[in-house]
Amino acid sequence: MVGLAELVVSNNPSAILSTYALGSCVGVAIYDPVVRVGGLVHCMLPDSTIDPAKAQAHPGMFVDSGMAALLRAACQMRADRRRLRIFLAGGARIMDDQNLSNIGGRNLAAFTECLRRENLHLDAQQVGGQVNRTMGLAIDTGRVTLKVSGMLQEVALC
Amino acid sequence: MLSIDEIIRDIDSLPPFPRNLTTLTELLDEPDVDVDQVVALIQYDPALTALVMRLCNSAYFGATSPVSDLREATTRIGFNQIFQVVASLSTAGLLRPQQKGYGIEAGALWRHSVTAAVIGKCIALEQDDNPSLVFTACLLHDIGKIVLSGKLEALYDKVLAETKLCQSPMLVVEQNLLGFDHAEVGGRLLEHWRFSPQLAEAVRRHHDPGAAGEHARLAAYAYLGNMIACFMGFGCGHQALAFRCRAEALDLTGVSAEDIPRHMTKAFDALGDVQALLDIQF
Repeated sequence: MVGLAELVVSNNPSAILSTYALGSCVGVAIYDPVVRVGGLVHCMLPDSTIDPAKAQAHPGMFVDSGMAALLRAACQMRADRRRLRIFLAGGARIMDDQNLSNIGGRNLAAFTECLRRENLHLDAQQVGGQVNRTMGLAIDTGRVTLKVSGMLQEVALC
Repeated sequence: MLSIDEIIRDIDSLPPFPRNLTTLTELLDEPDVDVDQVVALIQYDPALTALVMRLCNSAYFGATSPVSDLREATTRIGFNQIFQVVASLSTAGLLRPQQKGYGIEAGALWRHSVTAAVIGKCIALEQDDNPSLVFTACLLHDIGKIVLSGKLEALYDKVLAETKLCQSPMLVVEQNLLGFDHAEVGGRLLEHWRFSPQLAEAVRRHHDPGAAGEHARLAAYAYLGNMIACFMGFGCGHQALAFRCRAEALDLTGVSAEDIPRHMTKAFDALGDVQALLDIQF
């Protein structure tokens, strides 16, 4: 289980990483199919500059520090950045939000900026709307699943 | 179609509202609560007394020597802390069950409510408002859902269709399908349980705080607690974030939009404390 503001990287083929109820937070799953290393992070806010001490203690809390830490941890397990498959979920928002508190949108923008800076590409995503999503990553297959709160079935993102 | 009065008459089939919480709620309006008043209310309730003693001797309070006297325990923990723990634990029975009509899994509504309450309390402390009063309004904001869930269950396909096709807020879907919504029912429920008018009105208007008249500020706290809990992933059920943006909630409480991320990081810490205190993992 990957809790709020946490990140987990694994090469254990029997592990299924999952993070529960993203709301406006974003969940990012990365996976290297060659060495079968995968990771999942659950970021709450876009930008670690608002609280550097928090980012130190919980790098997964922010998109910028969370992505950096996730990539670093996966590469330490011999994942190769060039082979990484990357999946994104979350970033929900309330209705007719006049950009007053659009944390979901800001998280998604921060993620896009992070990919651009790192020169990485997104493989699939399911973002926005008003729903809560739970995200899972199976380490043996790299299969990414999503469950939308209030709906019965799980859907595969890849 | 059922009338709201018929729905409220059904309330007797719900579990009763926890008596120890109603007892402590009597002290909410006091600006400074005297320890003796708290002890006087707690001492006749063996379950509540045991809870306060257990809390005081828990690792969270770092008790070096065990305390066996209720007055000493109450002094050490303080009214606000006691109130908030009792309120959280004593509403678990009502809020924990699955609410099928909303697509809410077992445990999720209680987790959502406690999270909203903790967020509201953190903001209230900064704004110099009564933290336990705000905590209560936020904790109970969705209580109407436990009444309406059963009514919506048979209509769940329609709920899904309306939210998806019409992009309607959940509140409007409830009004279209039932003739009233969980906020109105929650307000009526609190009146039935003899909560103060300010708490009933704050719950009734938690999606439209500007309409709560003299209680608009408390309603705005309930709105913000709910909204920020949903941002943090502690929303629950189908279309958890399908409610309207109410910018006036910020003006009413004096919170700025730029402050919301900071409130979220503070709430993150406070939730960790609550989990340690309640000895639960959300």
